[in-house]
Amino acid sequence: MATRSIPRTDLGASHEGFLRHRRFLWLKVSVVLCLLALVGYALIDAQPRPNGGSPYGYTLGTVGVLLILWLTLLGLRKRAMTRGRWSLKAWTSAHVYLGLSLVVVATLHTGFQFGWNVHTLAYVLMILVILSGLYGIVAYARLPEQLGASRSEMTRPQMIDAVMKLDRQLALAAQPLGHEEARIVQRSIDDDVFRGGLHRRLSGRNPRCPTARALAEARRRLAVATGEQASALENVAALLERKAAALGRIRKHLRIKALLEVWLYLHVPFTFALIAALAAHIFSVFFYW
Amino acid sequence: MAFLIRTVSHSAEGRAIVRTRRVEGERLTVGRDPACDIHLTDLAVALRHAVIGRESGRLRVEVEPGLSVELNGRKTSSGIIDLATGGDILIASHVLRFMPVPAGSDEVEVAVERTGEGEVKLDKSAERLFTLAPVLPGKRGLAWLLALLVLAVGLAWPIKAYYDRQQKAATFARFHADRIWSSGSLSSAHAGLKDNCTACHVKPFEAVRDTACKTCHTRVHDHADPFRLARARPDLGRWRRIELAFKEKFDIPPGRCVECHTEHEGKQAMPVTAQRFCADCHGDLKKKLPDTPLPNASDFGRSHPEFGPVLIAGWNGGQAQLKRLSLAQAPREDSGLKFPHALHLSRSSGVAQMARRLSGRYGFGQALECKDCHDPAPDGARFQPVDMEQDCAMCHDLAFDQSGGTLRTLRHGEPAQVVADLRDFYRGRGATRPSVLIPAARRRPGDAPDLRNRIQFARGPGSAERAIRSVFSPGGACYDCHQVDAPPAGSLNFRIRPVAFPIRYLHKGWFDHRAHATQTCSSCHLAERSSAASDLLIPNLASCRICHGGEGSSKPVPSSCAMCHDYHMDAGAPSMLIRQKVRGKKRDTIVAEARR
Repeated sequence: MATRSIPRTDLGASHEGFLRHRRFLWLKVSVVLCLLALVGYALIDAQPRPNGGSPYGYTLGTVGVLLILWLTLLGLRKRAMTRGRWSLKAWTSAHVYLGLSLVVVATLHTGFQFGWNVHTLAYVLMILVILSGLYGIVAYARLPEQLGASRSEMTRPQMIDAVMKLDRQLALAAQPLGHEEARIVQRSIDDDVFRGGLHRRLSGRNPRCPTARALAEARRRLAVATGEQASALENVAALLERKAAALGRIRKHLRIKALLEVWLYLHVPFTFALIAALAAHIFSVFFYW
Repeated sequence: MAFLIRTVSHSAEGRAIVRTRRVEGERLTVGRDPACDIHLTDLAVALRHAVIGRESGRLRVEVEPGLSVELNGRKTSSGIIDLATGGDILIASHVLRFMPVPAGSDEVEVAVERTGEGEVKLDKSAERLFTLAPVLPGKRGLAWLLALLVLAVGLAWPIKAYYDRQQKAATFARFHADRIWSSGSLSSAHAGLKDNCTACHVKPFEAVRDTACKTCHTRVHDHADPFRLARARPDLGRWRRIELAFKEKFDIPPGRCVECHTEHEGKQAMPVTAQRFCADCHGDLKKKLPDTPLPNASDFGRSHPEFGPVLIAGWNGGQAQLKRLSLAQAPREDSGLKFPHALHLSRSSGVAQMARRLSGRYGFGQALECKDCHDPAPDGARFQPVDMEQDCAMCHDLAFDQSGGTLRTLRHGEPAQVVADLRDFYRGRGATRPSVLIPAARRRPGDAPDLRNRIQFARGPGSAERAIRSVFSPGGACYDCHQVDAPPAGSLNFRIRPVAFPIRYLHKGWFDHRAHATQTCSSCHLAERSSAASDLLIPNLASCRICHGGEGSSKPVPSSCAMCHDYHMDAGAPSMLIRQKVRGKKRDTIVAEARR
């Protein structure tokens, strides 16, 4: 890869990731916030037991809800990339670390009282958002490198193009084949590697891949075929083999891409569900005060 | 006879390119084989797929065995096309469109076109194909869906339940969606209200008021006059002032019942009130309320006034005068009785000897013990008042005569009857000396029948009056225990001063004897050294402090205020002990069931 040969030294600070941004400034801010919350929780003797309705509970709850709303704003903020102190990277760094600090702030707000109610629903949704976010951090730290490697120096349209070219060659090469064989090859051509559900994307496998089946079938028939049929089948099998490799490359790429994206499909919708649950939580608390 | 075959294909820009071919003959073969009249390159098409033959006025379509085509939208293996109307045959991705043939025409026109499918993936943006967007529902849609679902279930539904309840709708009885707003189970005392949120949350957006509590709790009294209570409160610290400002802003009156009696904390009893809740005001009460009779108290071990038992300080005629006096003033009690505890508890006196003699009958030990005369009340907390017939007469009987096998006794508590009985006794016997000479003298344990009485009886006429006077005089049966008001000269109208015992001395605090059963009586009550009934044997603060200290004390029994004092009540066991199931039963603070 071209970029790999560039020495890291002169890139230095400019290539510092969002996690290490400004020497973990936001990590430190979050740790201080958590410590403050914990010390307050330990020192303030809420009677009869700590709960969200005590003065300290309201304080933690207010801090928590403001944090959540601010964290949600990253969705808007990320659409405008800027540099500098309030750069998008700074926001992302703060988003990650302050988001994690919510685990402490919100858990202390609950006073460890949970139940089958809208309040615990909000808490659970928050935890789901944070867990999916945690996954996102790990994914962003590890996967992009693999994603680059999986492309084998090809662009994405090139990958598709490679398959389509093979498909056209297959359609020609299969012309002399009998109806059965031709149908099997056609299934491989008709197959859309992008089709299939989330599971297929995440596993990077298609156990019912028509190309793999066509290849197996072609090889099986090749063993008994003769003459013109045999040479046609041989051509087709070779093409199918190349297609299977191309598909494998695409699937691997798809898998990494899916792993990189899938958490957002939890993170974002659950964030909005969380905001709705928070609205219900706050409303209900004051409705039945 | 001929077929006119128009093969239609589309350029990249979508322009149609039509190539026309003429096939002479009655039959038209269709298949992937290049030798076919209509050559279809689709691999789903068999090498020889179908044959279309012309018969008079119509076309017969015959498909190879095992294969099929779609004829005018119907899947079939053979069929007829009326030349007058025309028709479509779909083979795999190709459509063969037979045009209507005008009558008399010789030529059948067929348009062959590949339907668009299979090329679709080219149109999509390659980059988008690699994302999850085509696989999963959109994030935005999901977000809306989830958010609306949560709002519907968590907000709209419970609000509806609230208004249903207001209108007492039928749905109310089944499930109350506002229960999903409940932050926790109600305490066991309020468990019955779990489906009735508005019993306490009377008005939306209004914090629970005391009036809601008082609709049921009609029998709870306030701790003190609300104004004095307010004045006694300690100065607010900064945080408290901020809290108060918030409460004022949101219209939450301070000092509501629910501040202490918090709810939705799970199925638990209310926790014990911490000592500081009392000490906040009572630690420095004198300063805040100079006119209060209550001394300051903040910790049992360090700052607690000496006990002030309520005792009989004197008499107003027959009425005992109760007065609360501090033990620091060494008060004496005027019960109207004469009783030396020391003598009775002695292990070597005549009392002990008599106890041994009567032990077979009454279960006494080597000497008298407290329990021989003092009986606990049924609940074990306190003791029953001493009763002459029950507790003293075992030794101190009032027998004065024996008639057959029956002992005649003077009537205790009725001096006029005593006088009458004695007078009668002597009148009936004239001057005859009674055979048994134990009439009037109080039988001291171990004493032999009193010689003095024998002599008095031997004196003859007037012995009845003498006997009566001796009973009420020093050494007489009544006099030794009671205070006797002597009659005017010449009268025998002796009067006994009334006797009374307080049942409960400490009215402002709770004391339970049963909880102290591990201790001996004399470890707290110094009865063995008391020679007068006026000695008050209530233990003082110092003796309690041997075991009891304040809430955080290292003494054997750390004792917060709540162990002896109750916020709302004076009588009965404190709530703390009731809740801990140490003592007492649940108080009836709410309206009786019958009132419903």
